[in-house]
Amino acid sequence: MRTLPHTLLARIAFRSFFLQSSWNYRGMMSMGFLYSISPGIDRLHSPGPAREAAYLRHLEYFNTNPYFASVVMGVTLALEERLSRGEIGEEVIHDTKEGLMTACAAIGDGLFWDSWRPFVAVVALVFAFGNYLLTPLIFLGLYNLPHLYFRFAGIFWGYREGTHVIRSLRQFQFPQIRQSLRYGTMAMLAYLIPNHVNVHTPFLLTNLPLEYFYFGEKVVQGFGALLLVALGTVAYRARVDVLLISFLLMVCALVLYHWGILI
Amino acid sequence: MPEHLTASLLIALIGGIVDLDSTATWQFMISQPIVAAPLTGLFLGNLYGEAAAGLKLGLMVGVILQLLWIEQLPLGMNVPPDAALASVLSVALGFISGHSYETYSEREVCYTVALLLAVALGLLGRSLDMFVRRLNTSIDTWVCQKVEDNSLWAIAVGHTLGGVFTFTKAFVFCFLVVWLGVEPLRYFTQTLSFKHGSGFIVVQGLLPAIGFSVLASMVLKTRDEMRLFVGAVIAFTLLPAKIGLGLGAAAVLMYKYRGAGAKK
Repeated sequence: MRTLPHTLLARIAFRSFFLQSSWNYRGMMSMGFLYSISPGIDRLHSPGPAREAAYLRHLEYFNTNPYFASVVMGVTLALEERLSRGEIGEEVIHDTKEGLMTACAAIGDGLFWDSWRPFVAVVALVFAFGNYLLTPLIFLGLYNLPHLYFRFAGIFWGYREGTHVIRSLRQFQFPQIRQSLRYGTMAMLAYLIPNHVNVHTPFLLTNLPLEYFYFGEKVVQGFGALLLVALGTVAYRARVDVLLISFLLMVCALVLYHWGILI
Repeated sequence: MPEHLTASLLIALIGGIVDLDSTATWQFMISQPIVAAPLTGLFLGNLYGEAAAGLKLGLMVGVILQLLWIEQLPLGMNVPPDAALASVLSVALGFISGHSYETYSEREVCYTVALLLAVALGLLGRSLDMFVRRLNTSIDTWVCQKVEDNSLWAIAVGHTLGGVFTFTKAFVFCFLVVWLGVEPLRYFTQTLSFKHGSGFIVVQGLLPAIGFSVLASMVLKTRDEMRLFVGAVIAFTLLPAKIGLGLGAAAVLMYKYRGAGAKK
């Protein structure tokens, strides 16, 4: 028997937009988590020691992926409801929340930070390099579709299914989605490299007949860019800092420009 | 009100809102450089009556910063460089100090120098983020004490204060940098000779290669994938530069290799 209305759950999902406002080194997202679910806690526990204990319970360390936090919130509220009826003990809430936040962090970080964000960024870059002025809207629209879906649907799943929610999440086949996104990112990257790294040299202009000039220019740009990216990748994988690589590139480019090799 | 002061206040406001999005609230990703920089360019361009130029500059800066910091993630204790503030400040400094120049190359040099400066400012922004998180830790201790004393209202107050700190930090930082930074940047650009100045345009054209390298490191896992990738780059070198080709190839690969790694 569930007692929390849908409007209240939607309100909690909305509050989860502010989950990390008070991110700190002790409880991390704990204050944000408690702030988000507090309307539910207030509904489930009457004023007094039970409500105070619930507040203190959720000021413990909490950290997960912000887009999947609402799933944990839904499950937590379902368990708080059972606690208020005396069906379970406090330790069940503690253990479940801890396990679930780790699982959601792994799923969410892998999906959103490691796969979806780079993929959407590369799609946006393809349009941005083509000077499409609506690129930011494409990025925002595409990125936020799954974000808003998981944020709002998550709390309902969590509350409805309780600890069985992991089974529902499994139906999304996240590893397959991530693999697919990685290959998509790779293909667009392969398109961007030869077309949008500007490697130009004056030698072609002086040494190639005009009818071959444009083709020669394209080949030099493509292979020059590939070489540059290969060197950058080797340096990055050797754990050289990105800013140091950028600085070295800048110095090399200025020297080559000064010698008349690059224009 | 002088135009420069109005622009500084506008940038401070944009910086504050955009920085809130980066971790503290929403996370719609308006804080990503590809969004934050064009947004700044659009508003600033409107103020100076050059909206299209502002938007184009924003797009250029957004592309480079997005690529440069694409692998920086706000995971757990990790505080990445503040790409949101770097994007806003790069566009603001470049646009305000560059718009008075007559020639294309002078303006481009201004934009590139502002971009390089903004990268350093992004690192400074990270230190400020860490400072705000330390402040939040003190608030957290205060909130815990209050809740133990049955003052449950402290949760909402403490939590809101965290957001206020983030906004204030970004607002003040952006205001000071734009208010004090435009003239020195303009002076520095004027001291560069044309020869050196044009070199910076070459640098600007090569900078995306760094971001592509970072991205390649992220997505290429096996030797087979590397071979496939190099082959694709060579194919795209020889093919005409059409966006449809890039997106089409992505769709084909996504379909063909869906779940390939998962099956293994």
